[in-house]
Amino acid sequence: MSAAPALLQAHELLLDQLGHPQSHIGAAPGFRGAAPEEATMKLGWFHLMPYRWLPDDFRERYHSVWVDLPNALYDPRRGHQLYNEYLDMLEYADQMGFDAIGVNEHHQNAYGMMPSPNLMAAALTRRTANAMLVVLGNSIALYNPPTRVAEEFAMLDVMSGGRLVAGFPVGTPMDVNYCYGQNPATLREKYREAHDLILKAWREREPFAWNGKYTKLRYVNVWPQPIQKPHPPIWVPGLSSIETWDFCAEHGYNYSYLSYSGYKRAQKMLDGYWERLAARGREANPYSCAFFQQVCLSDSDAACEREWWPHVDYFFNKCLHLYPAMASAPGYQSEASIRAGVVAQAGNTKMNFGIDKSWKELVEQRYIVAGSPATVREQLEELAHSLRCGHLLLGLHIGSAPAELTNRSTYLFATEVMPHLRPIWGEYEDRWWPQALPASERAPAGSYNAAAQARAERPKEDRR
Amino acid sequence: MSTDTPRSSLLNLGSGRPTIEVLEAGEGAPLLFLHGAGGVPAWEGVLPLLSREYHVFAPLLPGFGGSTGLEYLEDQLDLFLHGFDVVEALGLDRPYVVGESLGGWMAAEMAALRPKEVGRLALASPVGLWRDEAPVTDLFGHMIHELVPYLFHDQTCPAAQRMLALTQLFSDKDDRAPWQIEMLVVLGRGFRTAAKFLFPIPENGLERRLWRIQAPTLVVWGEQDRFISPMYAEIFREQIPNAGVVKIPNAGHLIGLESPEPYAEALLRWGRGH
Repeated sequence: MSAAPALLQAHELLLDQLGHPQSHIGAAPGFRGAAPEEATMKLGWFHLMPYRWLPDDFRERYHSVWVDLPNALYDPRRGHQLYNEYLDMLEYADQMGFDAIGVNEHHQNAYGMMPSPNLMAAALTRRTANAMLVVLGNSIALYNPPTRVAEEFAMLDVMSGGRLVAGFPVGTPMDVNYCYGQNPATLREKYREAHDLILKAWREREPFAWNGKYTKLRYVNVWPQPIQKPHPPIWVPGLSSIETWDFCAEHGYNYSYLSYSGYKRAQKMLDGYWERLAARGREANPYSCAFFQQVCLSDSDAACEREWWPHVDYFFNKCLHLYPAMASAPGYQSEASIRAGVVAQAGNTKMNFGIDKSWKELVEQRYIVAGSPATVREQLEELAHSLRCGHLLLGLHIGSAPAELTNRSTYLFATEVMPHLRPIWGEYEDRWWPQALPASERAPAGSYNAAAQARAERPKEDRR
Repeated sequence: MSTDTPRSSLLNLGSGRPTIEVLEAGEGAPLLFLHGAGGVPAWEGVLPLLSREYHVFAPLLPGFGGSTGLEYLEDQLDLFLHGFDVVEALGLDRPYVVGESLGGWMAAEMAALRPKEVGRLALASPVGLWRDEAPVTDLFGHMIHELVPYLFHDQTCPAAQRMLALTQLFSDKDDRAPWQIEMLVVLGRGFRTAAKFLFPIPENGLERRLWRIQAPTLVVWGEQDRFISPMYAEIFREQIPNAGVVKIPNAGHLIGLESPEPYAEALLRWGRGH
């Protein structure tokens, strides 16, 4: 595969811009969808950005896709192609009217090549103008000082015209403990302190001093400040800790369950979340929940298996090839979480991550939602209702899937599935959605280059 | 007092400080035993042998046995001072301090921090130093059964087999029995304590403090220790003013479980001033 299509597309986009100097947000190049204004179920397009060229015998030769997988396997020239292809996919999702596009943070692995999701989001602010930017997120305990997150998220919010969802993950043990050396016994305390500092940095209008246990700053005075007030909506992705439910309930944040085992296996976790909210007297508002589901669409169920299986196989059997000893770290989970049995994903890698399963098993057990638009529609309606989920993040790229296949899936989803899902949960208020600037006040995608060029390149005699 | 069955008691160090379970056995001069990252699950190995000549006190760190209050020990300095809190609460005067691995590091740090309060010192394959050419094995980045070859010279010995049996806790299925979950919780609690002070690299500047140690110090190492290279014994000997080294043949990192007799003999001989 060559990078030519991506470059060509970029070139066309540029020409398109130059030809339409007045192009406006609502008429951004290629834009064919329109996110509705009222509260409706939100459909986001979420990218993991896996590396596509792991060798066939990868599982035999290496014990994990993460932490200590030698980076000799990474080819930066191919990486160049991949980043651009992947950003194209997200930009296409924006053009097709997805409510949001999403990225996240992982380190030292071939499964998600976004050690800095903010760089990806920054690139997207310039090439999209409609979809919200769900950055899930910055592992806030990793940033020193954590005001860096306050700054960068504020930058993204300002650059994007208030389209940011600010994700505050604790981070996986692989990322935060084994790659970034954070002490698992004190990680959550450090996370909470970082959270408090960032929130205060977004709230205060005068410099203040922060004498924390993990961060000491004489002058906190974050420039710039986010457009959204008091701050962008905060979503907390979680996998396996009931502390995260409590944290979300306590602060009124969205709990985002990012699972690779599909919505059937997520039922127990999300039931637990809703019970926890009920116990604290919180409304069971579906928008306080987001769920990640991998989805493959083709024109028919049969075509779906044929087209997608190699890439699904790549994902479950290569990208999720994890070393169980590093899927948890001592002290990362509370004893309550261990007892509650939510160690499942850390301890039971093979069982829960869908390794060594056939297409039929993965589909029937709903690890993936796959098939024709009609099949996918039916299953996602079931998902939305059974999990009570108002924000659905769709993994429409899987494993080694190429752009053409992925974009077809995106297209089928946007045209034949999305309209049917949107009305779900219309009776609830979505308080976890960005309050972006009105479209008329937001910079158009690609901005004002044509006009700037015309002014810069005016004939000399025009000089005053 | 019996040498084979220890007495257990709880030591309350006061409000805002840990409560500590102390195991003790034997009669004679006080010997403070500081355990490694595995705790003291049984009064075995070197412990009954030492308690034939000493009054052995083995306080358990918070997170091990009945000891609680890890949250009061926020950093390593807190941990070392906590060691002295225990010594004082037990009324020990310049005890013979014996520490294994994690406990050896703690013992060395204590002896460097308050040199006059440690009468005699023995460090059994202690962590605390670092050389890039001989990295200490990552205690927190392996499955338990994978650690066995690093911890034991003879992987068929009963203690190694016991540790291997723990692998059944880490099943690939969702079918753990309640006792297995409790075992996992207990195991995790101790590891959490170790991780709090040793993660991710078990080195925090001990080397530049070793010169402060005044107690006569014996460094004991298993000749086949694959967890921490025996080459570290020489660094301890060079930098502690009054130190000797004894290497135990046919022993890995957990000398006390694998070769308790020659190990105990070396400690007892050192205690007599030889």
